Amino acid sequence: MLNKITVSPAPHISANLTTRRVMLDVIIGLLPSMAAALIFFRFRAALILLTCVGACLLSEWICDRIRKKPQTLDDLSAVVTGLILGMSLPPAIPVFVAVIGSVFAIVIVKMLFGGLGSNVFNPAMAARAFLTATFGVAMTTWTVPATTDSAMPILSAASPAAITQATPLAWSKMAQKKEAKAQEANSMTVNAFWGNRGGCLGETSAAALIIGGVYLLIRKTISWHIPASVLLSAGAVSLAAWLLRPEQYASPLLHLFGGGMMIGAFFIATDPVTAPLTVKGRWLFGIGVGGLIMLIRLVGEYPEGVMYAVLIMNALSPLIDRFCKRIPAGGLPNV
Amino acid sequence: MKLLSKMTFKGGVHPLENKQFTESRAIEAVAPPKQIVLPLCQHIGVPCKPVVNKKDSVTAGQVIGRADAFISAPIHSPVNGIVKDIALAPHPVIGRTLGVYIDTDPQSNAPRQPAANRFDAAFDPQAYTPEQICTAVQEGGLVGMGGAGFPTRVKIEANPAMPKDTLIINGCECEPFITCDYRLMLEWTWQVIAGIRLAARAAKCTKIFIGIEDNKPQAIQALRQGLSQCRLSEEIRVVSLKTKYPQGGERQLIRSVLGRQVPTGGIPPQIGLCVLNTATCAALAEAVVFGQPLTHRVVTVSGCAIARPGNYYVPIGMSVRDLIEHCGGLTESAARVVLGGPMMGFSIADLSTPLTKTSGALTLLTIETSCCAKYNKQRTACIRCGRCLEACPEGLNPTKIAHAVKHFRMDRADEYFMSACIECGSCSYVCPAQIDLAGYIKTGKLLKAREKRRLA
Repeated sequence: MLNKITVSPAPHISANLTTRRVMLDVIIGLLPSMAAALIFFRFRAALILLTCVGACLLSEWICDRIRKKPQTLDDLSAVVTGLILGMSLPPAIPVFVAVIGSVFAIVIVKMLFGGLGSNVFNPAMAARAFLTATFGVAMTTWTVPATTDSAMPILSAASPAAITQATPLAWSKMAQKKEAKAQEANSMTVNAFWGNRGGCLGETSAAALIIGGVYLLIRKTISWHIPASVLLSAGAVSLAAWLLRPEQYASPLLHLFGGGMMIGAFFIATDPVTAPLTVKGRWLFGIGVGGLIMLIRLVGEYPEGVMYAVLIMNALSPLIDRFCKRIPAGGLPNV
Repeated sequence: MKLLSKMTFKGGVHPLENKQFTESRAIEAVAPPKQIVLPLCQHIGVPCKPVVNKKDSVTAGQVIGRADAFISAPIHSPVNGIVKDIALAPHPVIGRTLGVYIDTDPQSNAPRQPAANRFDAAFDPQAYTPEQICTAVQEGGLVGMGGAGFPTRVKIEANPAMPKDTLIINGCECEPFITCDYRLMLEWTWQVIAGIRLAARAAKCTKIFIGIEDNKPQAIQALRQGLSQCRLSEEIRVVSLKTKYPQGGERQLIRSVLGRQVPTGGIPPQIGLCVLNTATCAALAEAVVFGQPLTHRVVTVSGCAIARPGNYYVPIGMSVRDLIEHCGGLTESAARVVLGGPMMGFSIADLSTPLTKTSGALTLLTIETSCCAKYNKQRTACIRCGRCLEACPEGLNPTKIAHAVKHFRMDRADEYFMSACIECGSCSYVCPAQIDLAGYIKTGKLLKAREKRRLA
């Protein structure tokens, strides 16, 4: 007795790759930073990350139920959104704020736009922007890492100095306003690289993020063009500023390792859904992100600009795709 | 010459080669079945009209269909027998078409043996004029046997409007599983070389290259040895190419061998090239030297779902069912019958579909070997990862074209150069969301052609 013989268009074989596997790779790539977050912020890190992932999964499940669509939880994209959002929240954030952010990310930014693949903005970043607007104080209160000793410079202006700490970028901003010396900010570069500094849960350790990013590059989960162009353009702008006025602007290394630059370059700007498709477009997108980050950091009022830079370029990426069309291998056809 | 070994094109994919099933199986002649069906459209161009009637008796090599058009090729009977019927027959590519059913004469049904041992190094192509060669090729019903089936005479005949100077022989065989051209290059070396020399003489090409993927070192060596025995190593160069799909695509092959690019929407003769498949060259030698029309060809029967995989020399018109039976039948796990290779072949449901001049392989896949074919894996929305862009050998944007077609926006599909797609299927192969991009693009081309016809 023969099986059912099926027909379909060619090809009849396919690579052993699924969306789920792509998402799983991103999660694996985030593991080093999650470990770093646990080391530096202990229980708070676990609490916030689990809350965000759980809230994201639950919101997606409910949305699928309401839309009467097949469940999409097993593609793991909600887990990735939850993790990225959790990683970009301050450690001391109240749990209910994290839940609100997660629900906003999944329901408003992702599912209302049509679910996976249809969202215009990176859900985690849009949710973070929403939280920044609604819970401004909670979103800018930075806890001292559990591993910090008292040698770290503590911002005198911040009131109960024991629980809050200035981030390297806050120092850099002070330096720009001539309230501090850029050298003081630069002295935090090593801590910014290893992660022993104040900041969002997942962004503090540039080293862990680079390890995860390299994993993604090796697995070809992300294309190298976006991280390269973000880091190169941001590096170039900060280098120029630093060379011009070293006493006012922090060093390019601090800008690259500080704040959300690394997580932005490797994990957020590379979100394929909200980035352009073509190589040319990806370069343009990355340069835009890197440039805007530095514009906000050096000129704007905010000390950090990754979130807004990514959101602005997300909005532009359909247009970039339209502009940067691929030219066929055989050249443009003569019509 | 530059470094010869890793010449290649941009893009492409590398599926599991799976040639181990049949690469060491010698070509085996198969006896004609009781009945054969010859579809009257086995080539690109004007379909043939039957020139025999019901109940006529025909002999092997007799013309049974032809058309009075430049781009066409006559069709011959591979067997002695009686025309049973002229009726609709299943066709692997175009669904249904008129076909001639012939009942084989039971008295003369011994398998025809290939003519390869009648060629040797002493062969002299100067004995034939270009006109003689072209006429023999046309009368022999030769078409490109690599898959497209373009009439060979049109390709090789010297054309003053587009003079050709370079002949490229396609021995890549980049599809997984298929080994028919490989065996042919190994076993029929002299015949292939004779065919190449005749084709070059007809086309008046002085530069000749044979492109072979570097996973077939024995074939490369066999041809190089043969050529040096004929003292032709200087004129005909065997080029080793990187093993990558679709290395055997005409445009990709040209890119890899010469570093030149056929313009989008253009054809190779525009830049002075002619590309022929190795099997076509072998058939050409037979047609010119012995007047033997194209009635038999080598077919690889492979895959995990067949009892006795191998390379078979079969009469054209034999049904898939008869060939499967000859090979010991399907195994229980068979899930898909593909005429052609797994990347570009046509899956068929009707096993009475006949083999045509362009069927180089019959691939029998199980659910497991078809990589749990797309349909068994979880399908998601496009995540815009860009893998299809990277894989596209023509530098297109498959996901944009596919989505335009999905929403019936043919204008948008054209903006992304839908018609430049060579339908190699690399995009579908790599897609992590399991979207059948190539399927959408093929549908889009059909819809566009239909629209054009309606407007005309």
